[in-house]
Amino acid sequence: MKRRNFLKTTGLAAAGVIAAPYILPSGRLFAASGNRKANHVVFCLFAGGVRNFESIQKAEGNIMPNMLVGNESISPDIAGAIPNLPIGGQRLQTQGTLFKEFRYAQGPTGHYNGHTTAITGRYNDVDLNLKSNPEYPTIFELYRKHNSPGQTALNAWWVSNQLGPYPALNYSKFPGYGADYGANYVQPTTMFDPNIGTVMGNPKQFSQAELAKASGYRDFLNNNFANQYTSGDAGVVNTAEDNYNLQQFLKGTYTDVAQGSLNNPWGIGQQNMNGDCYNILFAEKIIQQYKPELMVVNMQGVDIAHTNFTEYCANMRIADYAVWHLWQTIQSTPGMANDTILIIAPEHGRNLQANSIVDAYGRYALDHTSDQKSREIFCMVVGPPSVVNQNQVISAVQGESIDIVPTIADILGFASEIPGEAALPGSTLQAAFV
Amino acid sequence: MKKLLKYSLLLVSVTLLFTACKKEYLFGVDDVDVVQNSASKNNVKTTTEFVSIAYSDIYGSTIPQAYLTKLSLAYLAFGDKKLVEDIIIKNMLAAPGVQLPTQQAMLADVDLFVKNTYKKFYNREPGEFELWKMKQLIQADQTITPELIYYAFLTSDEYRYY
Repeated sequence: MKRRNFLKTTGLAAAGVIAAPYILPSGRLFAASGNRKANHVVFCLFAGGVRNFESIQKAEGNIMPNMLVGNESISPDIAGAIPNLPIGGQRLQTQGTLFKEFRYAQGPTGHYNGHTTAITGRYNDVDLNLKSNPEYPTIFELYRKHNSPGQTALNAWWVSNQLGPYPALNYSKFPGYGADYGANYVQPTTMFDPNIGTVMGNPKQFSQAELAKASGYRDFLNNNFANQYTSGDAGVVNTAEDNYNLQQFLKGTYTDVAQGSLNNPWGIGQQNMNGDCYNILFAEKIIQQYKPELMVVNMQGVDIAHTNFTEYCANMRIADYAVWHLWQTIQSTPGMANDTILIIAPEHGRNLQANSIVDAYGRYALDHTSDQKSREIFCMVVGPPSVVNQNQVISAVQGESIDIVPTIADILGFASEIPGEAALPGSTLQAAFV
Repeated sequence: MKKLLKYSLLLVSVTLLFTACKKEYLFGVDDVDVVQNSASKNNVKTTTEFVSIAYSDIYGSTIPQAYLTKLSLAYLAFGDKKLVEDIIIKNMLAAPGVQLPTQQAMLADVDLFVKNTYKKFYNREPGEFELWKMKQLIQADQTITPELIYYAFLTSDEYRYY
């Protein structure tokens, strides 16, 4: 071999070795496009309108003892109505950074507006439109489009505890984004309702060989038809492999529901297993099954505050336990333990002035109609000590709702890949990170 | 007077001409099945339409309201509509009362089975190539069941359009 050829060949080989994909310890084939702080993010939209008074300012005592440090006793007049739920070990506050004066700075303090802001990273003043996707890309689309290598929808989940407009938040109508990059969406308490299970839980079990045969016929039929029923009209469409995998998962969950094994899964009593708990429970099942890189899950039980203040506090206590349970599940799931950052924030607060509805304990109810107090919220960032500043409390006004999306993009290492037309107005919550 | 006579004669002539030409025609038209060409199917069925039509095609009866309500909720509660539809169809096929031809009947007259299946699910005749290819597929693997072929039609793109 001539020297020149030898040098050329070895040079190319060396370059190939350097550039070649390699298996990372996390199991990823390729390195992500940017430096990642962690390989998984779970964002919990906490509870459906929580006022700082009752949460981090503990005006009624420490209603959130799994999240917040402190043993302040509950106000005696309502203490009997607050569920006596377990308090786990290390409080979440000590495992991360608490922004005590976070802000939902603009736009109506409505649930849908708050959710849309939290998921798109942009304030908005849209009316509730039950069939309308957001105007701007969601965090799911930004992740799936700009993360390298691209991941299937099994890695991006939006788990909501209500229907209404919330199913539309898994992708936007922004040009160049949309359903092709959207998240898998599930509203578990409807999907796995035992009544729905009667029509969805007993599918014909075709063998793999039979499915392959049917697929051959279907391919022929589809090839002879001009239109494709796919992403968009059909929502977010999973790959054939992921579809099969998901169907097995759904079938197993229907079986669990039918067998009653989910009646009191956390051992806290069925009376305390409200919709928020079940939403978190199914989010945990998805975490255990798929170890998604990005999940957004919400709770809204405290919205009972419009008519019942004491129950608002009770549901906040349940939400606190549910978030703690979520974190324990993350930390006990191989692949996600010590490699996940959990972000917790309400979508908005509640008014300073109560409304005129009085509950059985003589307490007045609370609405949220865009007064200054309803813009005051908190945000907690929990994660591994090597990544997230531990036991840090930021008491000054710092951070807003629109900062969460860029923070997630930064954690997952694709923030710099977001192009100008989709550029985010918020900033990364740098103070939370080492 | 002469003029009056002239106009009267003209009027009578025109009247006679028109009445003499009046003739009734009766047209006979053979019965024709109105079917839709696949090329003209550009509209996606709504979820309610899809579920209702699938139920009718599978069971030969109208979907009960309670059943429809449950499926509509399931539709809303999961983001991948294709996946939900696949599960819905599989559940319908697994339940009692499915109207299916036997495999024996299918193999006895593949031509008729293919034509009937296209009419049932696509509301049209198969094209020559479609008929030939389907027959070839069925005859090449006679273990294929009508149920699997129905499943393929029910989950195909064309079935989702009208």
